[in-house]
Amino acid sequence: MMKNFSFFIITFLCLASAAHAADSQIWGQAMIANIPDYGKENGLNFGPLFVLLQSGYFSTIFFCILVGVPTIFLLHYLIIGPKIFSHDGEKIYVFSLFKRIIHFLAAIAFIILVPTGLMIIFGKYLGGGFLVELARHLHGIATVIFLISLIPMFLFWFVDMLPTLDDIKWVFILGGYLSKEIKEIPAGKFNAGQKMWFWVSSVGGLVMIATGAAMYLQDFNYGIAAGLGLTQINLLRAAVILHNVLGMVITAFFFTHAYMSLFAIKGAIHSIITGYKEHDEVMYLHSSFYKKLKQQSEI
Amino acid sequence: MSNEQARMKFFCDNDRCIECFGCTVACAEAHELPVGISRRKVITLFEGIEGKEYSTSISCMHCTDAPCERVCPVDCFYVREDGIVLHDKTKCIGCGYCLYACPFGAPQFPRDGAFGTKGAMDKCTMCAGGPEETNSPEERKLYGHNRIAEGKVPICAAVCATNALLVGDAEEVSAIYRKRVSTRGKGA
Repeated sequence: MMKNFSFFIITFLCLASAAHAADSQIWGQAMIANIPDYGKENGLNFGPLFVLLQSGYFSTIFFCILVGVPTIFLLHYLIIGPKIFSHDGEKIYVFSLFKRIIHFLAAIAFIILVPTGLMIIFGKYLGGGFLVELARHLHGIATVIFLISLIPMFLFWFVDMLPTLDDIKWVFILGGYLSKEIKEIPAGKFNAGQKMWFWVSSVGGLVMIATGAAMYLQDFNYGIAAGLGLTQINLLRAAVILHNVLGMVITAFFFTHAYMSLFAIKGAIHSIITGYKEHDEVMYLHSSFYKKLKQQSEI
Repeated sequence: MSNEQARMKFFCDNDRCIECFGCTVACAEAHELPVGISRRKVITLFEGIEGKEYSTSISCMHCTDAPCERVCPVDCFYVREDGIVLHDKTKCIGCGYCLYACPFGAPQFPRDGAFGTKGAMDKCTMCAGGPEETNSPEERKLYGHNRIAEGKVPICAAVCATNALLVGDAEEVSAIYRKRVSTRGKGA
């Protein structure tokens, strides 16, 4: 498995440099062919759209997320407050060491990816140059860590993350986070919020890696653009738009994930460090999972 | 003569361009460009098809309301009073956004980092250097020869043997081209 994986990475890098040496997909004849296309209505040219979004909307929306989401959580913390479960009682083992290590890799990757991504978006306020360029390089390096964690994480949690009836009920009461009352919340091993985050970060994460890799390699020819009926430059434009839009969703979800584990449920982060969740936390917040464990008399 | 402030533009007369690559070579020489970077390119389309084949020379077109300047996340672009679009390589992070915004594919990125990472963007300066002190060694190293400051025409247009490549105030360039078109075939 590991051998195949490293083989894949090395082949990928070799192909990338080989493709770079071949004919240019951007700076060859396409340079002229792309000109009349630019700004033509109902064509597949994303140039003017990208200029519009990047010059007026992307950074504003990211700013709103950067300020808005933590503000909402601060208000939630002050008005409704965190859910506190006893940390003295019995504990339930939920995450194996392997899962915790893989999650740790993903966590490290995200802690680098999200802030460096934001540094690039708000680069002008940091003066550009070395600092922001460093952020850009770290953004690329952290992607490799994320890619390594993504595949096993997707495989071992995939089944648990499939939607169930509980999830619909969970969404209707917003997971019970809008009330101070502690009651049984309909959720399996993972609640609907965690599932949303899982799908956004895994499938969305894969799209982020693909679009990011496209921007990193820039001038490549794997027949992807042709397969989509696009020119290479428009593939890159589509990639940068998609990368920014998905980046907004992932950033908002990442903040939420961090808030939930660090603040909203007091001490919940320990479960991914030690592998043990508090008995009461499982009983109330993952009631269906708790009942299943009871049935199987594992607790 | 025009009353308005001069706005510098390039124009390539496709009927005159003979695909000699003089502009490309002169540009690379004048600015000591690294291998793989070519600020001005000569491109031939429909090669071998009679009546359709043409060649043209292309580089940064120094747009009015330049889209590259609008999308740059670190605001490294600036437009001179005469309309020449320049950028600050010490600010540039090599993200590539300017390339996605550019209708002409002008911005290029030297792959000089480890694993072929992209360095600071490079493009035509219309031989006007950059934000560093004019004609300083730093300016020359980063942006090449500042011929405009020496009162010279950009090297590509200066060496164009058929005068296909025109550069100057937009109105004067169009006046020259208008005259060419209107006198064509009249033995002038």
